Amino acid sequence: MSRTTTQPAVSLIDVATYLPENRVSAQWYTRYADSDDLRDNPMFRAPDYRHHAADDESNVDMIERAVAALTARHGPEVLADVDVLLTHSQLPDLPILGAGGEVAHRLGISPELIVDVHNGGCAAFVLMLKLAGRLLAGGGGRTALIAVAQNAAGKIFEQEQVRKLAQASVPGDGAAVGLVALSDASPVLDIECRYYGQNATDMTLAADPPRRWWEAGPGEGYVGFNEGKIIKVLARGNRQVPAVVRTVCDRIGVKPNDLDLLVTNQPNRLLLRNWNEALGISPERHRDTFGECGNLFAVAIPLNFEAAIIDGQIGAGDIVMMAGFAHAGDFAAAAAVQWGATRK
Amino acid sequence: MTLPALEDIAAHRGGADPIPGLTRIETSPREKATPVIMEMIHAVYPHDEVFGEFCTVNEFIDCPPDELFDYLSDTRCLEEWTYSLRGFTPTDEQGLWLAYDRLGSETEIYTRTVANREARTVDYHCAWDQGRHLWMIYLMRVVDAQLVFDKPGSVVLWTNCHHPFYDNNPYPETAPPDRPVWVGDFWDMFGPGHLLELKNLKAIAEYRHHNGLPVTPDWMRGSANLTGRS
Repeated sequence: MSRTTTQPAVSLIDVATYLPENRVSAQWYTRYADSDDLRDNPMFRAPDYRHHAADDESNVDMIERAVAALTARHGPEVLADVDVLLTHSQLPDLPILGAGGEVAHRLGISPELIVDVHNGGCAAFVLMLKLAGRLLAGGGGRTALIAVAQNAAGKIFEQEQVRKLAQASVPGDGAAVGLVALSDASPVLDIECRYYGQNATDMTLAADPPRRWWEAGPGEGYVGFNEGKIIKVLARGNRQVPAVVRTVCDRIGVKPNDLDLLVTNQPNRLLLRNWNEALGISPERHRDTFGECGNLFAVAIPLNFEAAIIDGQIGAGDIVMMAGFAHAGDFAAAAAVQWGATRK
Repeated sequence: MTLPALEDIAAHRGGADPIPGLTRIETSPREKATPVIMEMIHAVYPHDEVFGEFCTVNEFIDCPPDELFDYLSDTRCLEEWTYSLRGFTPTDEQGLWLAYDRLGSETEIYTRTVANREARTVDYHCAWDQGRHLWMIYLMRVVDAQLVFDKPGSVVLWTNCHHPFYDNNPYPETAPPDRPVWVGDFWDMFGPGHLLELKNLKAIAEYRHHNGLPVTPDWMRGSANLTGRS
């Protein structure tokens, strides 16, 4: 195994997560379920449970709660060193600005650089890991905090009209933060980010009657899906995620089926199965929390990683691959980390 | 007007319940059929699932379909584009050719070509060691690419079926003594192997077509009457 860069080593030191208290069962949706052509579609087959953010719980609240778990282990002083703060949510509390500024204020920190990362979707954690690494390696400081929040389940998908739809039963809420530092203690070995801008316009929001998302109207907004689009997104996910994983594997000289752990986004069980098969990785080593948490969007990768750490599934020196794809397939990314057991 | 589709089976079964294994929109509406199809979509497929029972390879070849069909219809073209069939000579039997498959040292292979110009199908009926029972059948079809790809050229479809004789040589007495291999030992190589040969065909036909040479070379055409091609 060889590092592919001469830049200073960047490490993912730890991750911490937060799940909202409100644990919602699949039956909650069955109560409301309407006839929907996509009801039995495997892309929308409901997880047993997921967690919903409270109606008044913001992205900032959730990130703050994930950070609390981090400082509980590393001590509050870990925040004093944060030079770079990156945040991401697919449903910002206000579309005009992201969570970064308010997060810094709540945490009482003053990083040199705060960036709200709006792209990256379900693979945003990997994009932010790369961005943080570049910033630190380029002289941006020694420590970065990367924070992802997902609160659409308890907001968009609990709405009276939207909760009837097949798509509503899959998302779940949560938040996660990653502590990134200039260090070789738990090194990021390699990252691949690929953009497929030609697919960007397939990500759409819909309402009945139709309107633009910022216009007023009686219809509640939901994700625009039809059968054709579902097949296209499934096919893109099938291709893109194994492709970025293999690229990183090639560069670090590890065969996919020799990876100690794979953690991905978890849109549905079908894609999880297909990625296992494509990479020759057993479901046990492809850790997911779909049944308990549903589709966590960007939060799935760090949350699944933490689940493996907590269970002792991975130890010092193990190679962890983090991978996912975003939206309707406009971005895919993979990162390999040689876990240093640097969690306190 | 509704056609009496499957009425005979309904009458035979005494009811409209579908027979097992049937997926039609009347009894499997789209919201039932789509999930089944989605589950069947994988990112990768095991080699055996793809090439186990049927071995199909396809290729586009930039060469007019009729010219390619003429070339493929002559058994001796196999001397050129196959990987290991060499030394084609006519036998006493009309249309039956003898050659050697260098995959099995000193192995005789017999070939009879059955071609249909209207359908542009070319089937090579072959067998190792003996020419009485030609059970290894290479089914090929040349399609006009103008129709299927909206561009000039040919599409070649090629399928072999996993005949049980691939697993057990039914005529061991015809094999050369001490030959360590049997043609069916190579079944799992047929997918990639046939693709390599199809690429040979592509390279040869495209070279000739692009350089103004006849796709069927003169030596093959000149003696066509002597070869008893079918």
